[in-house]
Amino acid sequence: MASNITRRRFLKGIAGLQLGVFASRLDPGALLVRSPRAARPDGGDRGPSGAVARAQADAVPLGVFLAVGADETVTVTVPRPDMGQGPRTSLAMTLAEELEVDWTAVRVRQAPAGEQYGDQTSGGSTSTRVHHAGMLLAGATARVMLIRAAAAAWGVEPGACRAASGAVTHPASGRSLTYGQLAQAAAAVPVPPRSEVSLKSVADYGLVGRPTPRIDNPDLVSGRAVFGSDVRLPGMKVAVLARPPAFGARLASFDESAALAVDGVRQVVRLGSGVAVVADHTWAALAGRDALAAAWEPGPNAGVDDAVVRERLQAALGRLPEAPAGAAVVLDALYEVPYLAHATMEPMNCVADARADRCEVWAPTQAPMPVRSAVAGRLRLAPSAVTVHVVLSGGGFGRRLQSDYAVEAAELSRAIGAPVQVFWTRDDDMRHDYYRPASLHALRGALDAQGRVLMYAHRAALARPGGDLAGAGGDAPWPAGVAGPEQERPPYDLPGVSVEQGNAALPLPTGPWRSVNNTQYTFANEAFLDELAVAAGRDPAEFRRAHVTGARLRAVLDRAVEASGWGGPLPPGHGRGVACFVGYGSYAAQVVELSVSPAGAVRVQRVTCAVDLGVAVNPSTIAAQMEGATVDGLSTALKAGIHVQAGGVVESSFVDYPWLLMDEMPVVEVHVIPSTASPGGLGEVGFPAVSPAVCNAIFAATGRRLRRLPVQVADLAGWTPEVGTPTPPATAEPTVEPTTEPTAEPTAEPGPSPTAAPTAEPAHTIHLPDARRA
Amino acid sequence: MPNVTIVVNGTPRSFEADADMPLLWALRDLLDLRGTKYGCGIGACGSCVAHLDGRAVRTCRVTVAAAQGRAVTTIEGLAAEPVHPLVRAWLAEDVPQCGYCQPGMIMQAAALLAETARPTDAQIDEAMAASVCRCGTYQRVRRAIHRAAEGV
Repeated sequence: MASNITRRRFLKGIAGLQLGVFASRLDPGALLVRSPRAARPDGGDRGPSGAVARAQADAVPLGVFLAVGADETVTVTVPRPDMGQGPRTSLAMTLAEELEVDWTAVRVRQAPAGEQYGDQTSGGSTSTRVHHAGMLLAGATARVMLIRAAAAAWGVEPGACRAASGAVTHPASGRSLTYGQLAQAAAAVPVPPRSEVSLKSVADYGLVGRPTPRIDNPDLVSGRAVFGSDVRLPGMKVAVLARPPAFGARLASFDESAALAVDGVRQVVRLGSGVAVVADHTWAALAGRDALAAAWEPGPNAGVDDAVVRERLQAALGRLPEAPAGAAVVLDALYEVPYLAHATMEPMNCVADARADRCEVWAPTQAPMPVRSAVAGRLRLAPSAVTVHVVLSGGGFGRRLQSDYAVEAAELSRAIGAPVQVFWTRDDDMRHDYYRPASLHALRGALDAQGRVLMYAHRAALARPGGDLAGAGGDAPWPAGVAGPEQERPPYDLPGVSVEQGNAALPLPTGPWRSVNNTQYTFANEAFLDELAVAAGRDPAEFRRAHVTGARLRAVLDRAVEASGWGGPLPPGHGRGVACFVGYGSYAAQVVELSVSPAGAVRVQRVTCAVDLGVAVNPSTIAAQMEGATVDGLSTALKAGIHVQAGGVVESSFVDYPWLLMDEMPVVEVHVIPSTASPGGLGEVGFPAVSPAVCNAIFAATGRRLRRLPVQVADLAGWTPEVGTPTPPATAEPTVEPTTEPTAEPTAEPGPSPTAAPTAEPAHTIHLPDARRA
Repeated sequence: MPNVTIVVNGTPRSFEADADMPLLWALRDLLDLRGTKYGCGIGACGSCVAHLDGRAVRTCRVTVAAAQGRAVTTIEGLAAEPVHPLVRAWLAEDVPQCGYCQPGMIMQAAALLAETARPTDAQIDEAMAASVCRCGTYQRVRRAIHRAAEGV
């Protein structure tokens, strides 16, 4: 068993080296390509060919993340769930780069939840940032061991051997052994310390940096891919739940016998989150739920609607500081964004098989370990008794960071004593989400007579803390009052910046949504910065450039501005807007070019994106994520918002929560700044700057400054090139405190004059959007 | 006793089902063809598009009774040999992100190409305008359709 001991030591060493986790309970058997229950779907094991990799009894683990098969395939275990952002491809590329194997030899296995895989949560744009270095080192360490195994077999110095394309060669003698031939011997080689493992320089990369189609594509385009909703187990039932129409609504009555009378319905079970109708197949469960006719008491939140949301947000807004003496222009503005649902293309679902002493779940999740602990907690099991198989997710966007859907399935499986899939309809999903918080943003900026910024103050109020759907997730309760979120400052060098956040208690569950609270803050910051630029008489791009905090931000700004044709002539009714975002270790600038019809219809022609995310692992995925985040940005700027009525969510599907469609899709260009810096995040980086760039472009096109999302046609209706041309008012407007009730005036007035004469008293201007009326 | 027979991807399939069962659920739950996806259940998103007698339909809005005796083609049929040019074009353009809507997108596009061999951008807009991709792959979908039309 010496080799097993060596292997175990190796595995521990690799895990410790890579991730700072010491996997004391590692079982090498668990690192083989397939889990022991190989007949069950686990969503993994596919290669570029699209063929599902066969379980290889002889595949040799070389570390936690790698197994080498006698058939010369190498299977990379990907620690992070893939919801479309690409880690199954990019992390495998990274390991393969240092291992020196051809991409066609690479297969991927999706890691189930487990301590040995390090941080597994696909959130915060961290998959590459957290695992890039570890994957490089895992590949390089295995390469060194394969070389040493070959050198020992040949009786030559390892330094005289080379590794390339899945084989070690000894050029002097012309001998060669493949990785498959070497794997067993390599596993017995002592793990080299980090000091004996050399990493390639970025300039020598052959795979990393090459546009590489997603490894799952052959399965995704053929219908073979197994998403959570596609999981089927022997004896599995399907359930849908009657869920409360309002948050906090209480079950009053339901007709169990009517549901059971539906052909195929087997059981009706009350759960914390609703009443489950358990059936042989999905349609029977849906028909059974209709027959159930669950009735609900309104509960304590029945009076909560959009107006209440806004009132509470207004009340939670901190006071803006006074403008400094000597300010020539003082600008006040109030920005407003709604709740957002995630609306993943695949609604929530989960399969669970709970027994008395253990539970397995097949979860389309972003967060395997939190699912494991939440399920264990609910079923009163040790976490080690819960197996979480991570299956493909039809989109995530933050929704699948929660564990509610998995807890619910596990609870139901235990109740019925059978494996079960809990299926969520679209309206279940949209009305029982952890929403991006609605928010209000009061901003005040002051300029001196030369147009220099003297003060920049931002007081935000976010709708939190929110409730919880199934006792397993959502934002942690936040105290009411004011916090100072440092990261929500604009990425510019401005004097006198202060940002504070108040929190309004509201019953809607809230949670991370692509870019989290950068979505609201960046909208307000980057749109208000535009207002300041105009007030200072400066070009918005040039004004930003004058205040950027570093060379990387300047580079993306310059690239986006230049590539967009900024400043070039446009037809009447067209405009360009720019905005920037710094976050997740990356830098982005986006220019939106759009037109506004006289009736107020906005048509986006083109979005030019520039991004610096350090080393670019997979340029095709980078472009895809920027394209997708841009679509999200445009959709939430122009179309989608969640409304609240009677304590519940109004919207239920893509009809009333519309996303951008093919016939609205602009040209999206993505420019990636070459860099050798360590990798930054990607998935969330392309979102925040889009909506402010949209509103800045609308201002450029029409002279109307829109401060509420989504943009309403009514906010732009009646605009004509004549009245819309920005013409400064003759005199500054009277002061209005932002904490007063919003005026009902239209927001047609252009910003203050770029050339407004300095006055002794600060000239306050305030633009308050209409309160949204339900 | 089977009460429904549908020719699915060229093979007659008989099964027992409530006449009102949407074709979507028959395909997914009774016939084990899960490439056709549920997205909204009201015909608003296009994830469940398959072909009924060669025309694109939203299978969540077609009952098995309405499909009785007719020919259904799903993504599994389109991706089988000989592989449809759209499937190859989709791979060449690296279209999918999460991939969930993509079978429906491909089936919708296949119906377009069957009628219009070389569609313009405007024709693509019209044909694809009710297919939601929450990941925002539209630009690549457009390129892939053009690519397939040009022989991949």
